[in-house]
Amino acid sequence: MSAQSTARPEWTVVIDPVLQKELEQHIFVTSWPKLLEMVDTVYNWGRRSSLWPLGFGLACCAIEMICSACSRFDISRFGAEVFRGSPRQADVMIVSGTVTKTMMPMIARLYDQMPEPKYVISMGACANGGGPFKEGYNVVSGVDKYLPVDVYIPGCPPSPQALLNGLIALQHKIDGESLADAVWYKPEVDRDIPVPVLGPDLIDVRFLEITAEKTAQGLLDKSQAAMPKPLIIPAPQPEKPAEEPATPAPVALSAADRLRAKMAGTPAPAPTAEEVKPAAKPAAPAKKIKKAEARPTLAWLGNEKLKSLSDRLNEKFGAGTSEIIDAGLLLPADKLRAISEFLKSDHATRYNYLASLQSVHYEDCIEVNYHLDSTVHPGTVILLRVRVAESEGQGELPTVSDIWPGADFQEREVYDMMGVKFTNHPNLTRILMWEGYGYYPLRKDFLEPYYEGPTKVFDSRVEKGHGYHYRAEEINPYGTNMKIPKDFTGWDNLSALDDIKGKNLMPGGVQISELDTDQFVVSMGPQHPSTHGVFRMNIRLDGETVVGLKPVMGYMHRNHEKIGERNTYLMNFPFTDRLDYITSMGNNFGYALAVEQLMGDDVKVPERADYIRVIMAELTRVASHMWGIGFFLNDIGAFFTPALYAIEERELILDLFEWASGSRMMCNYFRFGGVAFDLPKGWKERCERFVYDRLDGKIDELDRFLSANEILLDRSKGVGALTAEQAIAFSTGGPVLRASGVNYDIRRAAPYSIYDRFDFNVVVGKNGDLYDRYYVRLLEMRESVKILKQAIRDLPEGPILPGKKTYQIKVPAGESYSRVENPKGELGFYVVSDGSPTAYRYHIRSPSFLNLTALETMCVGATVADVVGILGSLDIVLGEVDR
Amino acid sequence: MVIGKGILIGHLVTIRRFLLTFTHDFKIGEFFKRRGGGELAVDFFTRPKNQTTVKQDYTTEGIFTVEYPDERLPVYERFRVLPVLVYDNEDGNVRCTCCNICAKVCPPQCIWMSQAHSPEGKPVTLPEEYYIDMDVCMNCGMCSEYCPFDAIKMDHNFELSNYERHQTHIYSLQDLLVSSEFYAKTHPDAYASPEEVAERGKVTKKKDQRLQKALQLSRG
Repeated sequence: MSAQSTARPEWTVVIDPVLQKELEQHIFVTSWPKLLEMVDTVYNWGRRSSLWPLGFGLACCAIEMICSACSRFDISRFGAEVFRGSPRQADVMIVSGTVTKTMMPMIARLYDQMPEPKYVISMGACANGGGPFKEGYNVVSGVDKYLPVDVYIPGCPPSPQALLNGLIALQHKIDGESLADAVWYKPEVDRDIPVPVLGPDLIDVRFLEITAEKTAQGLLDKSQAAMPKPLIIPAPQPEKPAEEPATPAPVALSAADRLRAKMAGTPAPAPTAEEVKPAAKPAAPAKKIKKAEARPTLAWLGNEKLKSLSDRLNEKFGAGTSEIIDAGLLLPADKLRAISEFLKSDHATRYNYLASLQSVHYEDCIEVNYHLDSTVHPGTVILLRVRVAESEGQGELPTVSDIWPGADFQEREVYDMMGVKFTNHPNLTRILMWEGYGYYPLRKDFLEPYYEGPTKVFDSRVEKGHGYHYRAEEINPYGTNMKIPKDFTGWDNLSALDDIKGKNLMPGGVQISELDTDQFVVSMGPQHPSTHGVFRMNIRLDGETVVGLKPVMGYMHRNHEKIGERNTYLMNFPFTDRLDYITSMGNNFGYALAVEQLMGDDVKVPERADYIRVIMAELTRVASHMWGIGFFLNDIGAFFTPALYAIEERELILDLFEWASGSRMMCNYFRFGGVAFDLPKGWKERCERFVYDRLDGKIDELDRFLSANEILLDRSKGVGALTAEQAIAFSTGGPVLRASGVNYDIRRAAPYSIYDRFDFNVVVGKNGDLYDRYYVRLLEMRESVKILKQAIRDLPEGPILPGKKTYQIKVPAGESYSRVENPKGELGFYVVSDGSPTAYRYHIRSPSFLNLTALETMCVGATVADVVGILGSLDIVLGEVDR
Repeated sequence: MVIGKGILIGHLVTIRRFLLTFTHDFKIGEFFKRRGGGELAVDFFTRPKNQTTVKQDYTTEGIFTVEYPDERLPVYERFRVLPVLVYDNEDGNVRCTCCNICAKVCPPQCIWMSQAHSPEGKPVTLPEEYYIDMDVCMNCGMCSEYCPFDAIKMDHNFELSNYERHQTHIYSLQDLLVSSEFYAKTHPDAYASPEEVAERGKVTKKKDQRLQKALQLSRG
């Protein structure tokens, strides 16, 4: 210390320099960044504790996201319960589910509209990297191709607890942020995402030039030209007398040969097979593919009656009109309408219910086929086949959408997927893809951008000995899930402002005379809290009255059918879980039945397995109706209290599912001929107690809570009514059909499995309005409990599979259509098998999709608020609508 | 019917549930134990030290919330998230024989592997590389269901959130391995099931035979 110091000695405290340094480092605020750090702590704490998610769900994961906001997981403990309907009030976007190309522009828009600071949680395998649907032609390989993602949550689907874990991870990330380098305070940083454009494919405008260049080079076409193509089989022909057995290839080849051909991708090697065969074993007769019993579905008209119907048609419409092929009537296209009208109105069994309409691409034709049933004489299904030209865009058929209005959407789907035109269809536009999409994806000659081979199993993606593996992106020259026709030229006309998807679906409307206002069109959806997913309606309004409505769908089209035609039969099970993700057990059931129908007596489901199946299906019904009622009440304004009560019961059912099958939602529990695992020890007892001691009481409570509520009555009585005739004509199913007073329940109309053993009533409503639909669901839960009690009581011991568990499923050639009464309505699986390990055609008749056909009729004349309720009463699930 | 009666009854239902929320936990005497860190009333304000598992079943009334991360739902043995590969504790051998069946049944085709080779170039029944793409895996459990060697199993860990996917979401052999001891702990019932016991017995026998053969060779 120097002598010049004027300071008094007690003022100068000698501090140990080490301590001084430490204090400066940790305690004293000595610099601006230090000060900021302190502010950061508070600032980050504030933001991390009030993350408001955008109320935005895409697919299955959204259901788990909703569950995490319900009473069991209660995301509000993290300050994140305020799910905002508008992006402008949200902090975090939880991308929950499959990001499709159709939806991607909307997601980019939503992201751009969110104010800074904004975060993105990518929830589930699909959002992370495409997930199981990655190979689909309409799926974006991970949302991070477009948006900056903060947290990834693996899982398919991640359970609500996993989502909360992801949220905590995001909170940790926010904790580490600093005001000093927050990007959103830097004016030079533009975090907006250019909205991608729906052109011939989803086009990222950031890479427009390089995309155009690569398209002009035709790289993808070149690389795919070398790949093995899917096998195309000829359409089934009428049974010929047996003297000329082995001339055309397919019948002559053995299943193994055909399989080999399919694997190798060469089109049926007819000449080679014939050259080789006589040389190898001269005397051996060619092995025939095993054929399944020809029947359209389990409960159908029967061979004799079909013969007499065919004769009758020949008599009435001229000889040669109708021909029986594999238990279906082959009809000429020009007489289709006349015959349809006859079958619907004049024939003794009035075929007034178009159960399903689908198409199959064969070598020589595209076959459109119609499954008809009668609500007067249920269970007398017939199958009509009509064949049109095979070449792309050439097929043409008269529409039957005025005879059976339920054909409306299904014909549009056939047009969209196969390119068959329906003359005089009122609104023949693409339904799942968008106008301008370059291909008809379900045609066999369409190879997807990530096409690897005609059937699974694909080659290993490991480069042997190099420690290297590649992803699907690397087999596509664009480096992403994209395929554009080489001759595409309209690059300059692509505009993100052009809303191609909904443009052609502008509803017309009648002027309501009392109101002197202009009509205007409101686009409701695809991001809307009340549309139960990514569903959109273009609504024409006169004042507040709806005068026209067109559903716009396809925002969740994840190419289920195309993928299903490449999967082996077994592989499809977990995919069916993801159709109607609320009712995965029911979907499993339907699919198992479809393939078991083909396999015939090879798989005899053991008693115990049958009972387990029914128990699972009925538990699913209760869970689904609980969910449906909860969200219907949500939609008409009883915000979340009824839903919370109902979802509690659903959660307890999901516990049972998780215990038995391993997953809450994606059970994947059924196998051909039985179920995957036996029930774990103690399961039956707990389920018994749950059904006997709890469910009845909880349904009563719900009934007491809601059914007499005056507001509910006021909002739902007389709203959105469908008459019985309309409900049948629109091919609606399930509670929607029965609420209109039609006694038609597949469990009774065309009994499957062991439903004929149980005592239960088919619940039927009277007025077909919202209230009846709600009440039918409630009563149906009681009936399900009744069935459950009987099934649990009678559950026998025994095996759960007919034989040894095997992954090699041999399915005889033929076609089948299975129908199950899923909670949403008739779920049908149409499977065409060619004897190989994969389905040749795989189509889903989904109840949610067909129930939507009636939406416009129900909504016209109602108000916008009612539209929300009407949609809620249909209880749609988008996974099933768009598939 | 009196107008408003339905609404009133509905209110009674909600009030009942509201009261149940408070009374039920008191009634069963686990209120403090479950909500806080211990048995005492003061412990209500402390954080629980261990994660508690909350069992909910048909008797559950009142508060339904499971306060993840402090509490969590029970994990059922069959619960499946991502696949893992099991190695035997005793000798550290990977059970996988690279038979490719898991890849053959995998619905989204997210499993790729290559077979190991001996120095002489002969294929060995072991995987050299094994990859599972977590961004494609659909957690269906088919691989573990059809694996004939009990080598691939479904793990229970669902807390997998992370900040990056391109480097971390393709799991290699090293990322996938778990010990048979760990597996026995997470899947006690399956581990003790006759099928798996028989399979383990078969493997032990085979190993024993190989050992005997080697011993004979060394002796001779």
